[in-house]
Amino acid sequence: MNVLPLVLYAAAGIAYAVHFATRQPHAGRVATTLLIFAALVHTFVIGMQTMEVRHVPFANPSRAISTFVWLLALSYLYLETTTDERAMGVFIMPMLMGLQAIPALSPGVENIDPVLDSPWFWVHVSSLLFAYASFGLAGVLGLTYVVQFKEIKKKHLGYFYTRLPSLQTLDVMNARAVAIGWLFLTVGVVVGAIWTAQARAAVPDDPNLQAMSLNDPKIFVAVLTWAVYSFAVLARQVMGWTGRRAAWLSALGFAIVLLNFLPISYFVTTSHTF
Amino acid sequence: MHLLLLGVSHRTAPVDLRERLDFSSRDVGTAVESLATRSSATESVVLSTCNRSEIYVASAEPPRAREELIAFLSDYHQLTREAFLPHLFTHEDTPAAHHLFRVAAGLDSLVIGEPQILGQVKDAFQAAAERRCTGPLLSKTFHWAFGVGKRVRTETALGEGAVSVSFAAVALARKIFGRLEGRRVLVVGAGEIGALTAQHLRSHGVAEIAITNRTAAHADALASQVAGHTVAWDDMAHAMARADIVVTATGSQRPIITRADVEAVTGRKRIDPLFIIDIAVPRDVDPAVGEIEQVFLYNVDDLQGIVHENLARRGAEIARAEAIVAEELARFTSWHRSRRAIPTVVALRQRFDDIRRAELRRLDAKLGGLTPEARARIDEVTRLIVEKLLLEPTEQLKALPDEETQAAYTEAVNRLFRLSEDAAPPGAGDNESAPFTKPRTG
Repeated sequence: MNVLPLVLYAAAGIAYAVHFATRQPHAGRVATTLLIFAALVHTFVIGMQTMEVRHVPFANPSRAISTFVWLLALSYLYLETTTDERAMGVFIMPMLMGLQAIPALSPGVENIDPVLDSPWFWVHVSSLLFAYASFGLAGVLGLTYVVQFKEIKKKHLGYFYTRLPSLQTLDVMNARAVAIGWLFLTVGVVVGAIWTAQARAAVPDDPNLQAMSLNDPKIFVAVLTWAVYSFAVLARQVMGWTGRRAAWLSALGFAIVLLNFLPISYFVTTSHTF
Repeated sequence: MHLLLLGVSHRTAPVDLRERLDFSSRDVGTAVESLATRSSATESVVLSTCNRSEIYVASAEPPRAREELIAFLSDYHQLTREAFLPHLFTHEDTPAAHHLFRVAAGLDSLVIGEPQILGQVKDAFQAAAERRCTGPLLSKTFHWAFGVGKRVRTETALGEGAVSVSFAAVALARKIFGRLEGRRVLVVGAGEIGALTAQHLRSHGVAEIAITNRTAAHADALASQVAGHTVAWDDMAHAMARADIVVTATGSQRPIITRADVEAVTGRKRIDPLFIIDIAVPRDVDPAVGEIEQVFLYNVDDLQGIVHENLARRGAEIARAEAIVAEELARFTSWHRSRRAIPTVVALRQRFDDIRRAELRRLDAKLGGLTPEARARIDEVTRLIVEKLLLEPTEQLKALPDEETQAAYTEAVNRLFRLSEDAAPPGAGDNESAPFTKPRTG
């Protein structure tokens, strides 16, 4: 079921690449149309899975990634339509394609532990997924900021210079994405903590619940992520850390997010199944 | 009806002659009006910019119109014809349209792809249209040219990239700061390029332009010119701390802004970029300033380099733009050719209608007993028959592929229906039937 969105994201990715290379407005419109279509199909897929398992599918890593990709696509579409700036699509699409390949190739089975079946848990996961999607956008924006900055600084006004938005635009978009992401990350982490406390009281001998502490790598890295982005938000507001420093911070933050999301989820975590 | 073009441009005439033949200093509308009254041409447009003075007319007799236009140029500009004849170019029909299309596309400009020319072509047409000097041919031709200009602009990169130092500086500022509204500019030195750059920045909506100069009077003069304010020379550091963009253009022989100066105002705290444009030769800003993290330093050579690159990039787009022009020209030519059949078509229709009316008159006595409604019906039916008979020949005549074939067919139709001997009376149809009032031989 997740293959069709993957194919459509790939098609949109090709159109964005053509638009980026040729700068033809027509190619840009085709790209956006394809991406909207992909997001709609993806919405349908996730809707079907929701009806099938009677909750939004993210209780296993593969399906959670699919939901994450869907949210990222929606966030990007929001950013594109509000800023009328399509140049970032070519950087976002490979990320969508790469991540969507995981659920497309190994669908996984949505088998939910009754312990998890709580509204707190759904708020926890969906907030975090949305936060990660925003950080993904911010990370890409940060990297493009650095590329653009270097080109102008070195007076090498080449391929990217003519195609990327201005430094100011990239910075404003980055700030917006980080702020929204930080908000959802905070909600996600706080709700997670509250829910753990409640669940412990309800099911005292669940091993997963017992393992939930800062010693758990997943939780530790999530708190680290929160610290990094809190610093980014604070530094921008208080110390005026904009531009290149903010760009590097958001790239670093997203590297940690990816680390948490992929290798740690699959290999080392003890209390979280993803 | 033929399209005729007479003119001089930067390719054919030196600047002093172009200046003397310039229409734009006086009112172009008056010029086109006085031209229209003095020539036999039925439509005229005068296009005059600093690089060209061109007259486009629609005329049934191009050689005669050409002589009239030369006389007009000579009288209007008080020049002997010998002074400009060697520099004058003349094009007729397809080459004339080709020229106009290339002009509108920016291909004939001094700076290839410059965007102003399309607006100037539109203004020239507008001025003529307002004075009722245009008609079907020039209207169609000019609107076609507007379309060509628009296509070239949207489908090629011919007009992209700044091609002057001050525009390149503004383009860079926009790449750094996005919109320039609300940005603060400091101009150091009150020279000409500094003023030009300040003006470009002002037109992009910067909030504040501060000007500082060793001689305060010059700074005052520039400040009033670009709606800025002056800053004392000794307060330069303070003004720089507030600025987003610094333009330096003094005549100083040694750098006036050192790395220490900039570090003192940017320090470690400043994170917002500072864009320094050093257009002075020799340079006003120590190159080491560019090593400061948040400073973008561009000197005049850097900007010149950008300009050269952009020009080269435009050069690469010329072929694509010319292809669009050629494609549109082919379509225009076939449209224009189809119009040449119009006089014959008009004469043919006239002849058929004359026959129809003559027959109806002959039968008048026999039809006398009919009711007015029935007579009207007969009139209607006969008219429809004539129209239907002529429909296909008319279309075929208009669609003939080349000039030679068209001439042969027109000749044949003229002979078969003896159109030339009693062609349409003056005033019937449009004035394009005029050539056929002359007796034909052969």
